[in-house]
Amino acid sequence: MAQIAMATGFILILIGLYGALTNRNLLRMIIGFTIAHSGVNLVLVAVGYLSGRTAPILDSAVPMAEAAERIIDPLPQALVLTAIVIGVGVTALMLAYAYRIYVTKGTLDIGKCRELKW
Amino acid sequence: MIRRAFVLLLLLALGAIFLDLLLGFVPATELNETARYYAERSAADLGTANITTAIIVTYRGLDTLGEVTVLFLTAAIVGLVLSWGRRSAEGPQRQLLPTGELLTTGKNLLVPLILLLGVYVFVNGHLTPGGGFQGGAILASGILLMLLTDPMKRFSHGMISAVESFSGLVFVGLGLLGVALAGGFLDNRLLPIGTVGELFSAGVIPIIYSFIGLKVGAEFSSMLVNLSETEDS
Amino acid sequence: MVDGISFIAVSLGAAFLLGMLRDSWRFAAYGVSLATLAFLTWNAFCWTKGFAVDGLVPIEIFTAGTPPPFAVNLRLGLTESALLLLVHITALLSAIYLRDTLMQQGRRAMSVLLVLCMALSGIILTRDLFNLFVFVELTVIASGGLILLSQDKRALGAGFKYLIVSQVMSILLLIGIFFAYQATGTINIDGMAEQSALLFKGGFLAFFLMFMAVVLELKPFPANGWALDVYESAHPAFSAIISAAVGAASLIALDKLLLIAGPDWLMLTSIIGLITFIAANLFGLAQENDRRLLGYSSVGQIGLVMLVLGQKDILGDNYLFVVGGILLAHAVAKAGLFWISGLVQGRELKDWAALRQRPLLLFAFASFIALLMGLPPFPGFYAKWELVHALAAADRLWLLGLMLFASLLEAGYLFRWFGYVIKRDLPEQPLACPWHKRTVVMLALVAAWALAYIWGELSPHSNLLHLLPLLFALAFLVLEPLPAWLKNLLAIGGMVVWFLLSYPGYDPLQLIYGGIILIGGSIIFLASFYGSAQRRLGFYPSAMLMYAGLSLLIVAEDSFNFFAAWELLTVGSYFLILRGKESEPHALSYILFSLGGAFLILAGFALAGLGAGQIPLARLADLSGQTSGELAGWVFLLLAIGFLTKTAAVGLHIWLPGAHAEAETDVSPMVSGILLKAGLFGLTMLLMTMGKQQLYGVELTHVMLWIGAISALVGNLLAVFQEDAKRLLAYSSIGQMGYAVFGLAMMNHLGWMMALMFVINHYIYKSMLFLSVGGVAKRTGTRLMYQMGGLITLMPLSFIAVLIGIIAVSGVPPLSGFGGRWIFYNAIMSDEYRLPLVIIFLAGPIAFLYLFRLIHTIFLGQLKDEHRKLKEAPFWIVLPQMIFVAFLMIFALVPGLALRHVDVYIGQFFAGGPSLNWEGLTITSQFGQWAPIPIMIIIGVIFMTLFLWLLFVNRRAQKVKQFNIVFAAERPYRPETTHFAWNFFAPYRKALGFLTQPLVTRFWETLTDLLHQLADLLRRFYTGNGQTYAVHLLLFVVAVYLLQKGMM
Repeated sequence: MAQIAMATGFILILIGLYGALTNRNLLRMIIGFTIAHSGVNLVLVAVGYLSGRTAPILDSAVPMAEAAERIIDPLPQALVLTAIVIGVGVTALMLAYAYRIYVTKGTLDIGKCRELKW
Repeated sequence: MIRRAFVLLLLLALGAIFLDLLLGFVPATELNETARYYAERSAADLGTANITTAIIVTYRGLDTLGEVTVLFLTAAIVGLVLSWGRRSAEGPQRQLLPTGELLTTGKNLLVPLILLLGVYVFVNGHLTPGGGFQGGAILASGILLMLLTDPMKRFSHGMISAVESFSGLVFVGLGLLGVALAGGFLDNRLLPIGTVGELFSAGVIPIIYSFIGLKVGAEFSSMLVNLSETEDS
Repeated sequence: MVDGISFIAVSLGAAFLLGMLRDSWRFAAYGVSLATLAFLTWNAFCWTKGFAVDGLVPIEIFTAGTPPPFAVNLRLGLTESALLLLVHITALLSAIYLRDTLMQQGRRAMSVLLVLCMALSGIILTRDLFNLFVFVELTVIASGGLILLSQDKRALGAGFKYLIVSQVMSILLLIGIFFAYQATGTINIDGMAEQSALLFKGGFLAFFLMFMAVVLELKPFPANGWALDVYESAHPAFSAIISAAVGAASLIALDKLLLIAGPDWLMLTSIIGLITFIAANLFGLAQENDRRLLGYSSVGQIGLVMLVLGQKDILGDNYLFVVGGILLAHAVAKAGLFWISGLVQGRELKDWAALRQRPLLLFAFASFIALLMGLPPFPGFYAKWELVHALAAADRLWLLGLMLFASLLEAGYLFRWFGYVIKRDLPEQPLACPWHKRTVVMLALVAAWALAYIWGELSPHSNLLHLLPLLFALAFLVLEPLPAWLKNLLAIGGMVVWFLLSYPGYDPLQLIYGGIILIGGSIIFLASFYGSAQRRLGFYPSAMLMYAGLSLLIVAEDSFNFFAAWELLTVGSYFLILRGKESEPHALSYILFSLGGAFLILAGFALAGLGAGQIPLARLADLSGQTSGELAGWVFLLLAIGFLTKTAAVGLHIWLPGAHAEAETDVSPMVSGILLKAGLFGLTMLLMTMGKQQLYGVELTHVMLWIGAISALVGNLLAVFQEDAKRLLAYSSIGQMGYAVFGLAMMNHLGWMMALMFVINHYIYKSMLFLSVGGVAKRTGTRLMYQMGGLITLMPLSFIAVLIGIIAVSGVPPLSGFGGRWIFYNAIMSDEYRLPLVIIFLAGPIAFLYLFRLIHTIFLGQLKDEHRKLKEAPFWIVLPQMIFVAFLMIFALVPGLALRHVDVYIGQFFAGGPSLNWEGLTITSQFGQWAPIPIMIIIGVIFMTLFLWLLFVNRRAQKVKQFNIVFAAERPYRPETTHFAWNFFAPYRKALGFLTQPLVTRFWETLTDLLHQLADLLRRFYTGNGQTYAVHLLLFVVAVYLLQKGMM
């Protein structure tokens, strides 16, 4: 179960990277990275998954005393949240860049941003 | 074409590395030491029912502070970038098609509910699934709805920015109070931890998470508003 | 001192506070930002002082009232606090520097800067992997924001490339962290280090991914195209932050990861660092854009630090000292250079010539270059010394060799740049120099020298900044505003006093060298009184630096001090040589050969150290007894080649002619008459301690004998065909040094006597000839001999000096040159190297040819029309020449005065061999005797007789009018071809010209051309396309994966 999610995640990463590295349009590249990030998050959640267990929230179904036997690993859950938010931040920043590049250069083609080289 | 083939080849190699990782992966059957500690201690020590929240707000509060800062930073940079070259707000505005009756009424009905839901989600972050980030995102989606129905609507940047910064300061301030009054930076036991499962429990976690909710809502809104205002330049 | 959490909380709080301010309150916002940074800088300083001086123990900071590994914890120790200080001080100074930009962009930009500081502090302090990830991402985003501050539109593209690459890095890092967590059950760095067996149980992939992500943050070759673009286009104040602060923080992140990994990963780190260091420095050679060059240099230096991080296993207690020395030197120098680049308007390297308008900035520039190169007394010098010794002790010689090679490449572009600054035309745009920016640069300068002092104090050897001669030389920097005559007086006084102070401690050998350097140097300084109406900025500090190095060299007792002195004199003489009008390329080749030689010496000492940090020079003698195999031979070889670069032995000589000929009139004698002796002193020291050495059965002193002989022959031959008088003298020095090397390499008593005789003689006559020729050149405005002629009546004193000089050089009786030859002939008679002996005999008559020209073409023959009104050379230039004439006479009459004691001294080393007998005024050897005074009298009588006869005959001589030697039907396109003295020895050239083919020059030129072309070709690999850079990155990841898989 976890492996399937993980494999899906890895495939998503590869698809995302392929998209990001072969499309010259900035927006498409950004979308590619977003896909790759979703893949990463899927992998991360899968790492903390324990089959047959439930969410790490204590309530009548999961009393405090049995928590350790009933819940999945809460740490990846917490970390993934952070990773997602950071991903959003970077995506927003890339979008801002894309906007500025479009305004100054009138193009969204990464191949046109090559004044700096060598 | 060669480039695509080359990229494909490289990604296949990367895929092989991932495959290696996948094949070597042995799913755990028991919680490891760290996770067990959280499972057994977070309710007793911090008074939260939602263990993930305990981790996010307290145990790894520093990460969360960083996370909030990421949004703050992005909002600031997006604001900075988009404010250049933007014509003054009083400039001639583009004529848009009037928003439909359905959308307007729907908005009027939904926005208060969305905002209420957002607040509910972050206030109960220590008890139920959800929390400040989710609640904040819901708040911002309310703002998005308002922008969609009326693209020319102007929000006060100063107001958004003040909410954002104030919430941030409260977060840092509560963290520092933890150093002074409790066990360390971001310790939640400034207030009594109360009974697990009640709204007023878990020390300052609900307070911090609420301010995180406000802050995240404000930051997302600020990004949305800034992006929407680029439309008219 | 405030709690360590303040580094995160205070800057973050201030950043949030800025958000509350009104957009228009920019002054308030700027004030808050500066106050925050200043407070944190102070705090970091207090902590650093606490750890370093007051001996505080590192503190652990727990968050959330929960112990690690369950909550994030931070650690603050000496390393952390020092890096925090670096980060905050760089940010504070950059914020001051960025005043106008920040005020214009408003509070948002300021809060981004503050958050960047907070993020870097987080990277430095945290002990938690995921927390590290969060702060790394914060750094990425904040950098992405600050790159936008640049006015340069190209920065947009660069920033986007950076973001693309960071996305890939963050994907790798996240996956790595989670799998590592899954394997070990902890996310704490120290916890994971304890569990590293678990981590590596199922393979190394989880760690590999984290490792790669952090390494990629350090911009390794080839995955660093984006970094160069960012450096080139970002605002220079921000580039300073990336280079200094972000680089340092990323390095500590790598250091933390290496804590988790085993020793297998250390070597990998070193290899990645080494490749980066080599590639960046190679590509730097082809750069003309200043900021991109600084980018290459930054990337290279960070690579060097990575290399050092990977040598943690062998550096032991010195680890922090070495890493810190190189890292801080890099940070201060690079930040300083980036800040200066914001003052320079043009973007080409030669536009930096504008710095000449501001001597203080120029000094800052020079200091930063020296800091980067690790020249003494800067921290990099101490650090490199320890590093090289550790590498040699651990037998990682390939690493050592490649590292030094790459350093030489770095020296290539840095010193070329320095040459541009000193020599190129002032650009049209002046410096843009607001006071706040200048202050920032000056503070970096202060930091550079403070670091130099601190590292000297920390060094297990000695603090170079406590050495009196060096301090005296540096004092001239402060005295620069004084008039030159006063400085000259002080310089002479200082040298004489130092000689008198050191005199009692000198042994006879040191006395000879010391006398030449200090007293001889003072005499040459007399010539500097000429034209002392100007201030001659830079002359005295450079010259005194050279003399300081020389005077320290001869008294050095251990390898460290010897090498430090060697580097000091090299640097000082480089600055001196660079002062000549056309000397830019020659000074560059001088410094490159010298540094190459110095690196060999360094490697030789390190090998000889056998693990010790330094050795007394006398211990070199025990080396062959202590070690088996060829080690002693290699040490000998490395040191000997190092010293032979300074004596300009053939093959390594191409720097000399230009450097000596193009130097200023009073500098030529210094660098020829005195500086060349440093190489001879080194050889003397080497042969005295190590004696004869063999390498794979080859007798090395025998090889040296050959080198000496060929140098003598080739040097003299090349001198014969020169038209330029100073070049002629310069080539002749190659030959003279060849004699001396030959003498030393004979390894017997008389050979050494002869070498020492040459040391003294060469100083006297070469200084004298350079001065007289220089004086003539000053008057005639040319150094080409065929443009002169008949100056004997106008410049009689110069004529006398040249006449005496060439008699002395050629070794005919009665002057001291003859004494030298006489000892020499005695020496070779008693030894059995026949073939080199023939060669060196041959070189003798060739010397006559060029010496003859000197007097014949310049002083005899027809006076040129345009020279009719010339006066004698200036008094101050003639005065030392006359002193030298007197010296020569005295030395010719009573050579025993100086040589006698040396003879006895040398006798200790060659017991039983043939020696000289000093009885009264006559010297006898087993082959004959030499009585200077009768010889002088006899020659005097012959001379006077001939002279009177000539005067008598002269009555009947015809007065000749100006004539031309153009043949009928010859059409002279070049006027000089019609002068009889042009191409004077054409027939000889036909016969022997094949020996003077510039083979060696061609070899070195081809080598440098190849390197440049390679650099130019390979750097095209950075296509400028962001996606290609990402592909490079993936390629790098896959390649390292395969490499590591192969290694494990």
